[in-house]
Order: sequence, then C-alpha cells, then structure tokens
Amino acid sequence: MNGDKSYVIATDVGGTCTDTVVFAAGEPIHIGKALSTPPDFANGVIDSIRSATDAMGLPLGDLLGRTSLFTHGSTVVDNALLTRGGARTGLITTEGFEDTLLVTRGAYGRWAGLAEEGLKHPVKTDRAPSLVPAERIRGVPERVDYKGAVIRELDDESAEAAIRHLVEGAGVEAIAICLLWSPYNPVHEQRIREIAATVAPGAYVTISSDIAPVPGEYERTSTTVINAYAGRIAHDYITELQALLSEEGYGGPLLVMQGYGGLLPAKEASNRAVGMIECGPAAGVIGARYLGGTMGDPDVIAADMGGTTFKVGVIQGGALEFAREPLVDRYHYVAPKIEVVSIGAGGGSIVSLEPRTGVPRVGPQSAGARPGPVCYGLGGTEPTLTDVMTLIGYMDPTTFLGGALRLDIEAARKAFEAGIARPMGMDVNEAAFGIYRIAAAQIADLIHEITVERGLDPRDFVLHAFGGSCPLLAGVFGRELNVKRIVVPYTASVNCAFGLVSADVVHEFAHTATCPVPTPAEEINAIYAPMVERARAQLADEGFADGDIELQWSADLRYRRQVHEVTTPVRASTPLDEAGLATVVSDFEALYERKYGKGSAYRGAGIEMTLFRLSARGRMTRPEIPVEPLAGEDTSAAHRGKRDVFVEAEGGFAPADIYDFASLASGNLIAGPAVIHTPITTIVVQAAQTARMDPWRNIVIAFD
Amino acid sequence: MDPITFSIIRHRLFRIVDEAVITLKHVSGSAITNEGHDLMVSLYRADGSLLMGGVGFLHHLTSAAEACKATIRRFGDDIDEGDVFLLNDPYTAALHTSDIYLVAPIHYRGELVAWSACFVHVYDIGATNPGGFCPDAPDIFTEGFSSPGIRLVSGGRVNQDVMDTMLNMVRSPEMVALDMSSMIACNNVARERMLALIGKYGHETVDEACRTLIAQSEELLRERLRELPNGSWQSRQYIDVKGEVFKVNLTMTKRDDRLIFDFSGSSPQAPYAINCTKWASLGGLFAPLFPLLCFDITWNEGVVRPIEMIAPEGSIVNCTRPAPVSVATVGAIQSVNNAACAAIGKMLDASDKYASEATAVWHANHFAVFMFGRNQHGGEAIGILTETFAGSGGARNFADGIDVGGEIPNPISRMANVETLETIFPLRYLFRRRMKDSGGPGRYRGGAGMEIGLTPHDSPDGGLHYVVSGKGADFPMSEGLAGGYPGAPNSYIWVKNNEAEADPRNTDAGFGQAVDDLPGDQERVSWGVFPLMGEDVLYVRWNGGGGYGDPLDREPDTVLEDCRTGAVSRETAENVYGVVIDESMSAFDPAATEARRKALAAARIPAEAAE
Repeated sequence: MNGDKSYVIATDVGGTCTDTVVFAAGEPIHIGKALSTPPDFANGVIDSIRSATDAMGLPLGDLLGRTSLFTHGSTVVDNALLTRGGARTGLITTEGFEDTLLVTRGAYGRWAGLAEEGLKHPVKTDRAPSLVPAERIRGVPERVDYKGAVIRELDDESAEAAIRHLVEGAGVEAIAICLLWSPYNPVHEQRIREIAATVAPGAYVTISSDIAPVPGEYERTSTTVINAYAGRIAHDYITELQALLSEEGYGGPLLVMQGYGGLLPAKEASNRAVGMIECGPAAGVIGARYLGGTMGDPDVIAADMGGTTFKVGVIQGGALEFAREPLVDRYHYVAPKIEVVSIGAGGGSIVSLEPRTGVPRVGPQSAGARPGPVCYGLGGTEPTLTDVMTLIGYMDPTTFLGGALRLDIEAARKAFEAGIARPMGMDVNEAAFGIYRIAAAQIADLIHEITVERGLDPRDFVLHAFGGSCPLLAGVFGRELNVKRIVVPYTASVNCAFGLVSADVVHEFAHTATCPVPTPAEEINAIYAPMVERARAQLADEGFADGDIELQWSADLRYRRQVHEVTTPVRASTPLDEAGLATVVSDFEALYERKYGKGSAYRGAGIEMTLFRLSARGRMTRPEIPVEPLAGEDTSAAHRGKRDVFVEAEGGFAPADIYDFASLASGNLIAGPAVIHTPITTIVVQAAQTARMDPWRNIVIAFD
Repeated sequence: MDPITFSIIRHRLFRIVDEAVITLKHVSGSAITNEGHDLMVSLYRADGSLLMGGVGFLHHLTSAAEACKATIRRFGDDIDEGDVFLLNDPYTAALHTSDIYLVAPIHYRGELVAWSACFVHVYDIGATNPGGFCPDAPDIFTEGFSSPGIRLVSGGRVNQDVMDTMLNMVRSPEMVALDMSSMIACNNVARERMLALIGKYGHETVDEACRTLIAQSEELLRERLRELPNGSWQSRQYIDVKGEVFKVNLTMTKRDDRLIFDFSGSSPQAPYAINCTKWASLGGLFAPLFPLLCFDITWNEGVVRPIEMIAPEGSIVNCTRPAPVSVATVGAIQSVNNAACAAIGKMLDASDKYASEATAVWHANHFAVFMFGRNQHGGEAIGILTETFAGSGGARNFADGIDVGGEIPNPISRMANVETLETIFPLRYLFRRRMKDSGGPGRYRGGAGMEIGLTPHDSPDGGLHYVVSGKGADFPMSEGLAGGYPGAPNSYIWVKNNEAEADPRNTDAGFGQAVDDLPGDQERVSWGVFPLMGEDVLYVRWNGGGGYGDPLDREPDTVLEDCRTGAVSRETAENVYGVVIDESMSAFDPAATEARRKALAAARIPAEAAE
C-alpha cells in the first residue's frame, strides 16, 4: 500500500444496523454505526461510513479518497426473500418434473426450519409459498441421464414457446432454468439460455449448471430460482453502491462478501445473488477465526446474541464448518456457506408462562427493537430477557448505550412481577434469577447439540461472545459447557465488519463426477486442470501476483450405499500423485469417523468421490490489529465502586465490582464477581472467574 | 416442584432425545433412516413407561415402552449396567420383524433409573422377500429373524456370538451391522447425557421432574378431553388385497376425561401379512393422537393413561400367533391410525374451541415398493422407494391439505431426489409429478398425491424386481371430514411395453406423457413380487389427502385456481365442485355454476325423499 492510500474500509449491512470499521496502519480501529435503510440499503452504508469519519474528524470524501480497499457485506438478498420483494420469476424444467420445486421433496419443505413446537403440530404447519407458482413453471421435452448422456434431444421450438409463454403470457422478469442431470451435461440448459437471450433479451436468466452445478434436483432448482428471483436486486444494489461510493470520492475496488466467507469482486458478485445470503454472519465467523488465530486459539465457538437472535458458528483447527442443507427463510438452497445456526433467543425475547402449566419459558416470541423491552420505555409491556438482566443488577440504567437511553427498572419490575413472578408464587428476584438460568441452560443445550452434530467436544473450544446480550450470559453457559475460556472481543459490536477485513478473495469452483476409489490420479488431475486454469486466470486478472494465489483442492467422498458425504481437503501437493490420492482417501475415513462416530464407516461397500472442489484464494493483506503496551494488573483507574448483582454460585445477589471498559488498560486483571460496562454491552464475570484485558483490548475470562 | 429447575430439565430431556436421533442418523447412513426418517428414539422410566417421546415414527412410542417392560419381565434382576437388549418379535412388542428395537437400561450408581429405546427399519431381516415386507408370507415363521428379547451387549461389550448369529440370517449383513451400530451408539449417547443430567441436578430432583412431567401431561390431556364434547364417533377403513376386503372398524367414545378406542367389528385376522398385533394397534392409534390432541403436551406415559383400547383377539387389529404381520406398518396399523385420525378429527370439529385442530386423513396408504436387484455399478440395490413417505396432507377445518405434505405419524420425513434414486437403482424416471384430481374434494381440498413412472436403465440384468404390498387401489382410504370427499385411491400399473415395439405411439416412449398414452398392455398389480424388465414401465400413483366440508361450498375462484395450477381437472370442477369453467380456464361461468351446483345438490337426495 502506498502512503496516501492508506485506509481500508469494511461495511456490513445487517437487518437493523450498518457497521463500519476503518483500518490504517498505526492508528486505532475506527468504528462507525448507523441504522440500516431498507430497501435502499446503500444510503445506510454512506451514513455508517460518515459516522466513522465524524468520529475521526475527517470529511467523508477525504477518507474515501485515501482508501485503497472497500469490502462489503449486505443483507440485501436476505431482505428481498424475507419481504418477498424479488422479481416475478418463471421456471423452465424437464418435462414430467414440473412439480419438483413445489413439492419440496415431500414434507421436507413443510418442516424444515421449524422448532419443536412446529414439528409436533403438523396440522398448523405449511410450506412457505413457492417463489414461483405452478402457473409459471414450464416443462420442456429433453432428457439427460445419470451419466450425462443425452437420451432425448432438446426441442428448441418447445423451449422457445415456453419462454414466450412465461415472458409474454405470464409477464415474468426473470427466468430460472434447471434440468435433470445438468451438472453432468449442461448443454440443454445452455441452449435454452441462448434461446432466451434472443426471445426475451430483457429477462434476467439463471441456469442451474452455472449457479449450483451439483446433483440433487430439488435443492438445485430452488437455488436457481432464488438467484433468478433476487438477481436483479443484487445486481442493481451493487451497481448503485459503486456509483455512490465513486460520487463520494472512492476510486478503488469493491469486494463483496459471500456466504462461504470469501470476497468476490463486485462484477462477479453482482451475478451471484445466492452467494450473498447470510454473508454477514459468515463474515462474523471469519472475524472470529482471524481473532482466534491472532490469539493462538484455532478452536473457537463463535456465539452472537443480539436483540432477537442467537447465532453460533464453529471453527475447528482453524477450519470452517460448511452447512449441509442451507436454508434461507424457509427455502432450501445449495451453495457453499459457512454453517451458522440460529435460534430465536435474544435480549428482546419475551419471558412468559405457558398458559396451561405455568412453566416459565424464554421466547420464541420477541419484542424486537420496537416496542422492545419494558425497561426501554418505548411502549413494550411484556417482560423480556433484557428486563430480567436489568432486574438482576447487570445493566446500569444510567450508562446504557453510553447514556443515550435511560433504563426504567421500576417499569420492568412491575411488568415482571405481575406477569411472571407473582403467578409463579415467587418474589421478583428469585423469579428473575430463575429466568436467567433457564436462558443460560437453553443456550448450553443448543451449543451442545451443535457440537455433537459435528462430532466435537465443547471442552476443546474457546468461546467468543459477540453481540449486546451474549457477554451477560457467557460466564454461565460457558462454564456449563466447560469451554477452555471466554473471549469478549474488542470488536464484538462490529464483528461482521471486522470479519470483512480479515477475509480473502475466494472463488469457489466445483465439478461433479462419480469416481470410484481407486481412480488413477491422472484422471482426477484432468478434472481439476480446466478449473485450475480458469482460477489462475481470474485471480491474475484481478491483480493477484502468483505468490498471493493459493489453490485449495478438496473432494466430497462417501461410502457407497451411504448418504453422508464428507468434504475432504487435499493436503498432498497438487496435481496429485497416487500416494497423494491415497492420503485423501485415508483422510476421508478419519474425518468420517470423527464426524459420524466410531464404527460408522462401512468400507466393505467401497468408497467413491462425487464432487471435486477448488477454492481459489487471492491473499489479501490483513490489517494489523493495534497492540497496546501491557500495563499492570491494577484496575483501580477503571473501578467504579460496587453494586449488588446476581451471582450464580451464590444463588442470589452479592456485591460485585463495577468497571468502566474504556478506562481499563491491557494487562488489567479483574476477579469475579464483577461487571464491566462498555458503551454497547455489559460483560459479567461470575464468581470463581477472572477477566483480563489482553493487548488487543479483548476481555479474556478464565475459570479458576 | 421448583418451576425453574423443572423447565431446565424438561428442555434438556427433549434435547437428549434430539442428540440421540442425530447420532442414530449419523452412524446409520442409510436412506430409509436419513431420508424417510423411519426411526424413533425415546426415553423411558425405570419401569418402562414412556418419559419423553421423540419426533420420529410415532407408531413406536408406546410399543417400545412395551419392549422395555417385556425386557424387565424376561430378565428380571439380570439387567446390568451397560446392557443393551434386542427385541423385534411382534407378538411381544414390536410392530414387525424388520423394525428392530434396541432397549438399554440406564443405571445411576448401580440403580436402574431409566431406559432409552430406539428403532430403525433394518436393511434386511432374512424374511422371504428382501427388505422385510413379505406380502405372501403365510405366517410369522417366514418373516425372518425374530426375538422376544436377547442380550446384544453385556456391560458395554457387544456379544459377538449373538450379533453374528443374527447377521448370519440376513441379506447384506454389513448394512444390517451398520444399523445395529447406529442404534447402540444412539443408546450410548442417550445414557451419557441422561447421566450428566442426573449428575448435575441429582437423582432425586431429576426423578421428581420426570414424575411431575408425566403427571402434568396426564392432567393437561384430561383437561383438554373435558373441554371436548362427549360422544361416540365412528370410522371404517377397508383394506383390499387380491380381491378380498378386510375392515378396520373403530368406534371412539369420549366420556369426561377418558377416550376409548373400540375396534369391535373389525375383520377376523387375514391370511395376508396386513394383520397387526395388539401393541401395534395401540401404537397406531397413538400416532395421530400425539400430534392432534397433544401438540402442546409432552408425549409421555401421562398421555397414555386416559386412553383405553378394545381390540378383539383374533381380529386383524389383534392377531394371534402365528399370523403373518410383516406388512402391518402399511396395513392394519396404518388403517388404525387413519381411523383414529378420522374419529379424532370428527370430535375436534364438534368443538368450538378446537375445531381448527381438526383434519381429514393424511396419506392413508403407503405404497411401499421395495426394489431389489443389481445396479448399474455392479452392486446390490435393495431399498424402498422413499416417495412412499411423500404423502399428502388432509384438508383442515380452515385450509386446504398440503400437496405432498407428508403424513401425521411420521411428521418429519422426506423423499429422495430423482437424481439420487437414478444412481442407486438402474432406473429412469419418466415423470414424477403431482397427480391431478387426487386431493379429496371439499370446501377445503385435500392435498394432492403424486404419480411416478419407472423403467429400467443401464441395468446389468436387463431390469430388476420389486416387492409391492399395495392395497387401497380399490377403495380410497384417506377419509374426508365434515362432508369432504376422500382422496383418490392408489394405483399400480405394470405397462408391458416390451411387447409393443411396433406400436406407433412408441416414438416418444419413456418420457413425460400420461400413463394412458404409454404403449403396451397395462396390468394392475398390487400384491407380491414382480419383474421390471426391458422397456416395461412401473406406474405408481398414490393417494391425496381427504377433503373437508362440502365441495359445493368451495369458492368458485379457488376451484378455478386449482384448475390453473393443475390440481383439479375441468371435468372434476364441473362434476364434483359444480363449477363451470371455460376451456382456456380464463374464468368460471357464475350462472352455469349456480345451476350446476343446484342440480348436483338436488341429485344427492333420492327423488321420493325430495317430494
């Protein structure tokens, strides 16, 4: 980087807030925050950057003029799906299979994404309405078989008639094309796209062999439809953002985050709407991985709890976990995506008693940001988890959000007493302690289940606690899970934006073919050769020098007659020789047993490789996180007296030391019970725990 | 008990079952377990009564309780820490031999405190036909390996002699071994997590929470029953096999806080394997009862207590040894569950408060086709066509049934993709689509079923064979509710295309056309083992859900919409719904519709009665 172009900016657009971080060598990290502005999210981006420049005392144009790189993540595609705001879309598929999208592999689309209450109550469940209704689905005569052989030629005239029917008859603006077995032979899909370009040049077209070239026609069709549906919105959004940034003085590249945790140049990203789904949470996991790496912790459970949702991702040995059956809203799609599991539990979760049994529960309903918790005084009447946090002494009514909002404890107490404590026959404190424990136990259950599902043990992990609500509970559920220690990162409030600057440019390629083990290494290499060539050319085109390009091969393997496929990274040097290929197979066997349990492998049936992946990485320069010189353990400068708060080990109120985060220095050591107030969150250190501020200003909580 | 601790323990018990299910699916890796979700894991009390039922195949929750109790009776004091018992004898507790139960005691400090139990439909059980369904089995002795209780694991060590003996009797023993490993691993997880729970909260507290949980479920169900009207409701199911017809007859009586299911009047046990045993019938009636009446109640022993079953001995719903039962799960058990769903639906519909919980029968008839033979990769392929899990929803009191929405007793199943099935089997699908007019007509329409056409493709043997135990081709089984019509019946057709080479319609053979346009003679098949060779086609159509309310009351606009989306034909719109729609389906004719509806209504009343 040259001297006058020294800044790197990352902005993440979430559902509520748009966060910005600004990095420059030798400067502290600057943070900006603004409300998101749906549906014109680009405006919120500018607001958010401006909020950072205001704090820096720098005009927006000056900063953008001195910025060399802008990385970005946005919820724009998720929002288009949630609000059903996408294009009027039609679907062309193989004749005889027109209903594949509508019937969602049977009940799968009806129950996917439901919690226990829904699963147990089928009479009250339905599918999400299809993004393409039956009238806008057209089958065309053609057929390819499982080997990719054409066994029925495409009828061009029927294809043209289908397109005309959709565009002229049904008025569609976007067309998804997904035919059986196209990953093995895309020739018919490509031909229909050509015809569409002639017949309906204005339509936005996605073909499945481009966007999701993997077998499994339901998920592939759904992905193609989502991409066509949100394609124009994603494209226009990125184009508009680029224009806005350039108007404000920015002349560098715009890189856009993908759900798999890598960045793509704007031009490519704008044609891959489906890639942007949940890219914010993915960036959060990338950020946690980078921070974990910096701190020497390759195994991290990244938990983020805000107002409405609890999200958790797992990083093992520095490796990311990818979702097997991704779902957006309640639509399935197939695209490489970092697994982030979420449940409806946050500070705004409403505390209630089951009407018939009186058993207390937290959520799943949420008061959200509006009307919000009772203590916000914004019209909320039902007690929430945040109200409970206030009642048990964790929140400081006067310093919340830097004093911007004064919390009304008395209102919270009244609502909680009338709605929860009295009906349970308990006093307010006792009931509030109980609710806190229920919330912590449920989160522990969730994280336990997620780690078990991956064959992992939470005791091997460091817990990162992000978001406004997580650091209030982490000391208790982290202890129950017996994690190694808890880290509340300095960048906890802008974690996703932080993740954006720690990511690389990554292009994902995949080729579907079924190869039994053993297959000669040269055949595997031949599959990779064209992908490698494309990847190198693309990254070179984007300005990456050879030394900054990293190609990671990986393959999906499975035991024959078994449904589980395991993506196995190739550790050997590539192109492969026979010994290297043998390592891939033995690595697969080890991974399989780790994930699915001892004795789960059935070697007798044979092994086959089904999907060949190439992850092409253009390494970016990581901004360095500023390091503070170590001060002593003495915390007296930050000590703000004592207050009675709920201490789990005591089962009730006990005096705790109160600290001001801003006045803490690296090396400071705090013995629990204690509460640390930051402008955006509150960190609770339970008894028998110690908290230390590290040189990056993270709070690290250890168990005695 | 302290509501906080209770809330935490209850949540954790449910999660324990969830984690055990994950383990089961992971280790098993089979399609029927992972796609069909044909599995169950539940926790039981020390005496074997149900503590926490999981969301799996719900027929099994109560019969696995009986499996625990039978194990206690058989082994008495000889039940030790780390033991696992296998039980699959239908006359002891199981539903049919291929659904194997593994039940495992959980000991805490040497004391038996709970049981975990699970089942999967194993790959094979060594019966006459591959896969376990034996339509023509004359008795239980030909239905494969069967044990009333045997110790598979002693103190954490697998009894290899027992395992080997069992595996020696089945096809593809490696696959069955994997099924067994998955169930052992699943029970291990349940035990570890249960012990961790007890370790944290203490045996006394957990035990009290379990007792409270059961008492609470009982009280909640009794309270709900008291809110529902007293009365008797009837439902009859007809099962046709090879031209013979068998009946499951149910009278359900609700009195105060009790519910009695009386199956008197059902057919004597059949010579075919559709029979079921007493425990299977009990499981069959609970399968809809849990989600319909206990959707917000924990599924445990407390729910079982207010329910009584009368099932005459020697009948199709309580057969006596050695009657064959291998097809029970898609035979008498499914009919018991359909009849219970219909009777409960009628009762709910009669209540102001709970009418919106009422539903017509969902997916009354699994078509259960097991394919077997060599596949295109030279390997062996035995497996159920998982489409059988893709049933369709019954219409509800407030909405249509869900097209291909699944089934009530197995709420979270799914079917495999065509692209998966075409690699497992040497088959090519001609089509797989919703079946027009299959959803039961009604003010709210039943969900549509589907139709598939299959032909051999790249088979090393020129084709393969299949076992079909299809009933319900003569009589519709997805009963409607409140005047709604039943869903269309199933259909199984063998299209003999091999002899039709010269047929001029053969030019585009084997693609997406209608079954009637396929060249070759068509023969109805429904029962037994058949070949699928050469260019022949197997056509299967399966039932839609039952309708709700009078079809003449359905909004004409909605019927028009059904025509446009392909759910209903113009003929049915006119002849059943009384809605007259023009050929281009642009609109319905209001005057003609009114006249047609009047005529249809009048025709229902015999002339003499009308006068």
